[in-house]
Amino acid sequence: MNFQIPIGPQHPALKEPISLRMTVDGEVITDADIRLGYNHRGLEKLAEDKSWIQNIYLTERICGICSHSHATCYVQGVEKLMEVVPPRRGLYIRYLVSELERVHSHLLWLGVAGHEAGFDSFFMYTWRDREIVMDLLEMISGNRVHYAINTIGGVRRDVDEGQKAKILEGIVTLRKRSEYYFRIGATEPSFVARIAGVGMLSKEQALSLCAVGPVARASSVARDVRKEDPYAVYDELDFELCTADSCDVLGRVVVRVKELLQSYRMIEQMVKGLPDGDIVVKAPRKAKPGEVVSRYEAPRGENIHYIKANGTDKPERLKVRAPTLANYPATVAMLRKGFIADIPLIFAAIDPCICCAERTVTLVSAGSGEESIVRMSDLRRRALARSENAPVKGNAVWPF
Amino acid sequence: MSDIEIVESLKRDLGARALEIANPDRRRIFLKVAPADLVPAATLLRDKYDCAHLSTISGVDKGETFEFLYHFASPVAVISVRIEIPRAEPRFASICPVIPGAVLYERELQEMFGVTVEGIPDGRRLNLPDDWPEGQYPLRKDWKHVRPEEVIPGGKS
Repeated sequence: MNFQIPIGPQHPALKEPISLRMTVDGEVITDADIRLGYNHRGLEKLAEDKSWIQNIYLTERICGICSHSHATCYVQGVEKLMEVVPPRRGLYIRYLVSELERVHSHLLWLGVAGHEAGFDSFFMYTWRDREIVMDLLEMISGNRVHYAINTIGGVRRDVDEGQKAKILEGIVTLRKRSEYYFRIGATEPSFVARIAGVGMLSKEQALSLCAVGPVARASSVARDVRKEDPYAVYDELDFELCTADSCDVLGRVVVRVKELLQSYRMIEQMVKGLPDGDIVVKAPRKAKPGEVVSRYEAPRGENIHYIKANGTDKPERLKVRAPTLANYPATVAMLRKGFIADIPLIFAAIDPCICCAERTVTLVSAGSGEESIVRMSDLRRRALARSENAPVKGNAVWPF
Repeated sequence: MSDIEIVESLKRDLGARALEIANPDRRRIFLKVAPADLVPAATLLRDKYDCAHLSTISGVDKGETFEFLYHFASPVAVISVRIEIPRAEPRFASICPVIPGAVLYERELQEMFGVTVEGIPDGRRLNLPDDWPEGQYPLRKDWKHVRPEEVIPGGKS
């Protein structure tokens, strides 16, 4: 018998309210449909009524996890339009915050992945360590979520010697702990068996469905804006592009773990090589008519802003494409032929926020129309029960 | 391939079909084609220039026409393909047969600008609610948001 399971729209596992409707045959998902717009705020239209400066704070509020990503993507585009070149010290501080943000986002996501796989101590450890980087961000910018450090022509706050020492100290602790957890992961076969082979996305699918970020890189698509379109300081930094070829949730964990280590490297390089000088230059109030395509590698993938100026102090058009939207077609492909029990895990593998996953899911019988309410926690319990009974996959190898 | 080589190569491959080619910045190439040449251009970019990744489609209302930009990303450059669609006849072909990942962006164009993308595999609305009135296209410049008057049952206290 065919069932349709609606997940959402109010609080599914994804951060944004989104509705996923899954047609299932027994335990296997045969089709998935995605419905958006429950959190549509008309932000692109609103941006046309705000000045260049006001829009920095508007774009920062697009997302709560990668707030700096949107503000930076916007600001680096507007600087091109206004022909403003920010001082190098300002740029280093801006992208230092970017990498710290990536660390906090990936640590958050790792904890969520552990939680969904039933490895809750992993979740508690990574979230404890995420506080280190959150404290560093608060020390640099004064805020924990919306850092508000960007301005057109540079950054708003400087970093002093004491803060530099604290950042380096924090990174040493973080690196030591990260490596320790990876060793724990290596001796934890049940964790590997739970996430290997779940949410498969082949390389061809990832390419044709235009997936971005760690989702694409876990399907061995070597795509990273920092490497292929090195903006600002990234051509001066020494780091590696991280990919995995297992095409599943395990691969997505591996990619994010490797990226954490690369981010620690970049943070150390930026703090040690922080140039002297000003942090900001004065920017004009108006931009000449023109257009710019600005790209940025957010923690979740490629973020792209298209900005068109008409000669006034307001943009003619600001188009924002966040990485999560680009990954939705790939999400549908991942859910197909998967199990109901894997839905929370596959969700978690796409987006780093699942704190609102403790919600209800309605199971609708297509034949009788009867509904039964299942809490997301029960769904997770079912997931754990299924994996307990599943045979251990022999080919699942933890790569660390 | 450097930017100049890409521009030269595009000029050779597209000939008269490339209406304008600009290279305003490093790794940024803007190419203008007629709406009828969009699908062949997308196929060419995908097969020859390694542009299988469509970053997004952006649109601007320019009064008499709508201007749409298809941002294709290759490992070496972003090639933005520009088409202009007259407001009186807002129809053009879907590129989903070439790039299946374009469907969400084309759905967004349909609801936001009131254009018709012919041959789109899924023509439903993307962001706007199901009870959104017909003929209201928010990203057109002449569309203004009017907040409906709040009615409190029993009057304001």
